[in-house]
Amino acid sequence: MAALDFLATPLLDYLANGLVLSSIIVLGGIGLSLVYSIAGFANFAHGDTMTVGAYTAFVAFGAIGAVGSGVLGLPIGFFVALVIGVAVAALVAVITEYVIYKPLDTDRIGLLITSIGVAFVYRAIIRMEFGADFRRYDIQAMRPIEALLPYEVRITPHDIAIVGTAVLLVGGLHVLLQYTDLGRKMRAMADNPDLARVSGIRTERITLWTWIIGAGLAGAGGVFLGLYNQLSPRMGFSLLLLIFAAVILGGIGSVYGAMLGGLLIGMTNQFMPALPNLGQLFPLVPESFGIPIGIQYANAVAFIIMVLVLLVRPTGIAGEVS
Amino acid sequence: MVARDSSGQRRRRFLQATGASLLAGLAGCTGGGGGDGEDTTTTTTESGEDTTTSTTTTEDSGGMEYTIGMINSETGSLSAFGERNQRGKDMAIAEVNEYGVKGGTLNIQVEDSESKSQPGVSAAQKLVNQAGVPFIIGAVGSGVSLSIYESVIQGTDVVQLSQNSTGLGLTEFPGLLRISPSGRSQSVALTDIIADDGYDSVAVTWVNNNYGQSLADAFLNNWDGDVAFQNPHNQEQNSYSNLVSQMADSGADAWVFIAYQQGFTTMVNDIFSGGYEPALYGADSVRGDVVLENTPEGSMEGMKIVTPSAPVNQDNYKEFASAFKEEYDKEPTSWAAFAYDAVITAALSIQAADEFTGAALGEVVRDVTRPEGQQVTSYAEAAEILADGGGPSDVDYQGVSGPIDLDDNGDPKGFLQVLEVQDHAYEGIDFISG
Repeated sequence: MAALDFLATPLLDYLANGLVLSSIIVLGGIGLSLVYSIAGFANFAHGDTMTVGAYTAFVAFGAIGAVGSGVLGLPIGFFVALVIGVAVAALVAVITEYVIYKPLDTDRIGLLITSIGVAFVYRAIIRMEFGADFRRYDIQAMRPIEALLPYEVRITPHDIAIVGTAVLLVGGLHVLLQYTDLGRKMRAMADNPDLARVSGIRTERITLWTWIIGAGLAGAGGVFLGLYNQLSPRMGFSLLLLIFAAVILGGIGSVYGAMLGGLLIGMTNQFMPALPNLGQLFPLVPESFGIPIGIQYANAVAFIIMVLVLLVRPTGIAGEVS
Repeated sequence: MVARDSSGQRRRRFLQATGASLLAGLAGCTGGGGGDGEDTTTTTTESGEDTTTSTTTTEDSGGMEYTIGMINSETGSLSAFGERNQRGKDMAIAEVNEYGVKGGTLNIQVEDSESKSQPGVSAAQKLVNQAGVPFIIGAVGSGVSLSIYESVIQGTDVVQLSQNSTGLGLTEFPGLLRISPSGRSQSVALTDIIADDGYDSVAVTWVNNNYGQSLADAFLNNWDGDVAFQNPHNQEQNSYSNLVSQMADSGADAWVFIAYQQGFTTMVNDIFSGGYEPALYGADSVRGDVVLENTPEGSMEGMKIVTPSAPVNQDNYKEFASAFKEEYDKEPTSWAAFAYDAVITAALSIQAADEFTGAALGEVVRDVTRPEGQQVTSYAEAAEILADGGGPSDVDYQGVSGPIDLDDNGDPKGFLQVLEVQDHAYEGIDFISG
């Protein structure tokens, strides 16, 4: 019974909600980390690439319509729209790479500032087309799953779809990196681009694939962010800060670090309500113990955790000493 | 701020020092333009407070033209309000000039604030120092109104009447009048409604800025029951499920939201997907079609929202609305009604005052709107009483935006409508005055 009592606290609910937010941050974070490791700069347009994916899916879903009943409260048409959103986000990133980043003969800082400009341009175009107002996909919102309510867990089938798809995509990326030729070349290039080139790897092609994979995952993250919350021109940009925290915390350049960092940052955000009454929620903690801090400081807490981790491990959790 | 203040001060001192001739010339411009047979005399003294401008017109002239200023948000973030103000102002001028003001006509020189403080202050300096107007209607945003007051108006006789500012802080500046009620009246009304609905425990959250904080303070000060949860939230978060679960864990009966549309929409979706069904209450800022469109049907059923409103059931408002619709082919907003009443109040002050100066107008501007005196609902009726020798306290103008009744702090008596969400639409269920 004691175990069940522990389950009936809000902690499980925080955990479940933390998983959902983490999934979206991880999808955004992996792309940011990949592009950093191979293209060599912190891409500030990454958040707005997520927005591009979300709005593309919005348009595509409007054109396709629901098509059949689908799974987990999401019609088949939505998954088709998801694929289109991912494809367009990747395409936009590749075009940007060829038109802007590649011809620019500048250093990392120059590219970083350029990417901020690119972010503004993406956002401006979306705002011109769709206005500054927010909107949602035309999908019926869902109530929490009844079977989980006795455990105080309040998540909808949509949340499960977000986590499930994210796990699939991240698993797929893991297989790609570890077991395919492309993956080995990508890892080689991330380690040492010059050595990779002299070994006969066509680094240009690898860079192209990096952009496709990174921006595609960001597009998927954006589509789910729109489903989780709503679409607005600033949606991706306002999440970018947390994504950066996750990526740097995990060790920038490391895909697995980005996954861990994303999980930690998402959980931190959702576990904020637990901080003021830690004593009542956790065993072995004095009953009256708590950190009196409101949820409006969630981002500050996330960054404090980031700094603490970096103090202990300067390269981040999974970062390698270069 | 400091730089702006000192430049305003400098300009004023410069003006005062330059003395009578310059001011006389300026005032002449203001009063002039009415016809050939005009004889304008102006006297002024060194201390700005005693500035007097007297203007006489001969009988056979075309009448005086009384020019006052208006600072509006023609561009910038509040330009939507500016457009509504423009329509209300145009209708009011037409009505005033149909009857006439003190035998002459009313003219309003409009300047753009760009919805920002610095351009707003420049506009006010232009109106006061160059055009020499004794009465300014302005501005829209509370911050802009306050900057204008502190940098240009304070310490002079010029009357400032804001058409749209609802910030709570403006109450502390009695010299800064406004026609739109303070947001405080919303908070007070919310506490009364929640208590009347029989709830004695609330969870309150507010947007983490000056607006949210001041409305929340007013709410919490006026709430006698239990406060189970109170916490601000940041705008534009991607999730408020942590906030929502905290509000749920608090066990409060009624949840109160002083939030903006986008954040509130996320919260409603998080409440819905969390399976909670609390009694919801909100300030005006959570209301909007965009909120209805982006929240599930039935997710806000029974929510009550307090919103500043024109008394839409009153005859004078109905007349105003139908005239407005004829002119612009759309329903008026309460902002147009505020601007309309601001112009009417200014015109009545001119009619009631002994002379066309800031000091004289400032003496009567409150009295023409508040009790003691006959309640009148149109400019013509009120001007009739004043023209027949009635004093400012013989008139109690009832505006199309509410009873007005400017108090000693320069605030009007708020007129609020209570809306309830029924079948995923806002339905007016009650009006609250004061």
